Amino acid sequence: MRHASSTRLIWTLLGLTFAAIAVFLWSLAAGAVRIPITTIINTLFDLDGPKQGFIINKSRLPRSLLAFCTGSSLALSGAIVQALLRNPLASPKIIGINSGAALGVLLTFIFAPTLDLNWLPVVAACGGILAAAAIFSVAEFAPVSPARLALVGIAIGMACDAAVDFILATSELYEVSAPLVWMTGSLWSRGWAHLNAVWPLLVGLSAITLLYSYRLDLIRLGTAQATSLGLNVRRERLALLALATLLAAISVSVVGVLGFVGLMAPHIARQMVGGTHRGLLPVAMLVGAILAMVADAAGRALFAPLEVSAGILTAMFGAPFFVFLLLSSFPSPIQ
Amino acid sequence: MTALRGQPGSVPLKISIVCLTLAIACGTLFSLATGGRTDVGLADIFRPDGLARTVLFDIRMPRTCAAALLGVNLGMAGLVLQAITRNPLASPAILGINQGAALGLTLGVVLPNTIDLPLDFYALTGALTAGVVTFAISGGFGGKIDSLRLVLGGVAVGAFSYAMVRFTYTLDDDIARSVIRWTVGDITDIRWSETKRLAVWAVPGFLASLVMAQRFNLMALGQASARGLGADPRITLLLGTVVAAALAGASVTVAGPIAFAGLIVPHLAKFLFGGDHRVLVPTTALLGAALMLVADGLSKTLTAPIEAPIGVVAALMGAPWFLWHTIFARDVS
Repeated sequence: MRHASSTRLIWTLLGLTFAAIAVFLWSLAAGAVRIPITTIINTLFDLDGPKQGFIINKSRLPRSLLAFCTGSSLALSGAIVQALLRNPLASPKIIGINSGAALGVLLTFIFAPTLDLNWLPVVAACGGILAAAAIFSVAEFAPVSPARLALVGIAIGMACDAAVDFILATSELYEVSAPLVWMTGSLWSRGWAHLNAVWPLLVGLSAITLLYSYRLDLIRLGTAQATSLGLNVRRERLALLALATLLAAISVSVVGVLGFVGLMAPHIARQMVGGTHRGLLPVAMLVGAILAMVADAAGRALFAPLEVSAGILTAMFGAPFFVFLLLSSFPSPIQ
Repeated sequence: MTALRGQPGSVPLKISIVCLTLAIACGTLFSLATGGRTDVGLADIFRPDGLARTVLFDIRMPRTCAAALLGVNLGMAGLVLQAITRNPLASPAILGINQGAALGLTLGVVLPNTIDLPLDFYALTGALTAGVVTFAISGGFGGKIDSLRLVLGGVAVGAFSYAMVRFTYTLDDDIARSVIRWTVGDITDIRWSETKRLAVWAVPGFLASLVMAQRFNLMALGQASARGLGADPRITLLLGTVVAAALAGASVTVAGPIAFAGLIVPHLAKFLFGGDHRVLVPTTALLGAALMLVADGLSKTLTAPIEAPIGVVAALMGAPWFLWHTIFARDVS
């Protein structure tokens, strides 16, 4: 049994890796200027023959890499949050982390526009952590049902959104036009600077999370069982929540609110390899990366030369997916 | 149930109506007295002609009336939704109805040459579709509404509609320019024609709610009891959705999706006047008008000289309330 599931996991991972590479190459080819695949390979590996150095190296390569990083981080964050809340409908967006991070970043856009790009992840993380802390302090001090907790998350997200709207509407238009594009979850004009600011953090956090994966399995059993198996549930939950928040918030700081990736990817992964986190987490990461890259490249290619924000596409497909989950978890998703 | 916890008649109805009317009067004066031109004040009402009179009668007054009507519309829509879903968190914004109306409206603007219909029609269709989809997700037409599903489904429908709205903005630069101020609920540019459009929907919506008040009271007893007493809850649900969608849709066409006004006004009314909908329908309308008049005045004074759109002010007032309610109210889920 174990052997069979291991084989399946390996094949799934292999297949997804190939799919990710294919999507990656396609995302380099798609856009206002279509680039043939041989040119891409020539440019990437510096071979002889026709090249498109400027478009690929300056624009599309960093964007696709950024989509890869943030998509996988959001998926990982979603998988952790779903395990922690034992709620299949939870995601960084639904519990308000994204909105908190967005508020933090927007505040710095307005009040400290000269701040170095490297500080953006820190600011976003602070906003996200504040939102998450608010939600979980409610859970700690006024014990509520998981259902209520999801509502509290929505409420905190809406409160942050109200503040974001207030800032957007009361400031000068030229000040907010850049944040506005960013708010919808777009990788437009993201370059190497953004990528370099976040990838070491995201890779490090992802590695730590993968090492933690067996503890997620224990926590999913429930507090009583996990404690009897020797786990300090309180401390582990806190650590995992911090990981999830950081992953989501740092992603939001560069690509904006890329909704529903953190919700969809873990579910698709669970369909593929089941609920054991040792396999689930890496599969979810790959699925999330593929989703984000497809959303970015499709947004660029569909109505070229116009660009549709990746966040709009993920919401267009993610929201019906969410409804499907809501309907399929009968009688009620969480009690 | 919050709806029945307060004591009907704890404040004598006549006194409360007088108080509400006074509040509306104060709000009207506040809203009329404030604006971009600080040199124009209330005293100019009695001046026979001149610029000040034009400012008051052609710019401020339609806006003040529109704010009051928006309060009536959104408050009624929220009250009706809360009654038919028996869920204290229901409101046009949370169930996705506002966003659905926005989507319908945007489609109407983007596809102007297909069918020649007034924009209100598109907004109404969008609002109605969103409401029906949300109720279908929550299981409302099959019998029992699942509270959590209702809210989460509404959030999903809202997110989808909003993504579509933003998508159409991406396609058209001219529409994109007005996106921010419109999506946050803005009534700066309102003139008498828009105010009339609001009134046209507010009056029949209010009357319909008044007629249905007894049905709403029966819904509060539970779906089974309502059926036993001869009011089929599914019909109430359907009629209520139509009324709420019409009211919310009309508001969205004029002012954009204003969040939270539809949520807090009915709560405040229930807190003050108890759970009888025959009393609640008129008082919610008055309370909504008073609240939005104050919000309008605040929106002009809070961040002067830049205006904070009225929808943002309403959201800043309503979001803490929603948060408080999700944490402490006993009757959620």
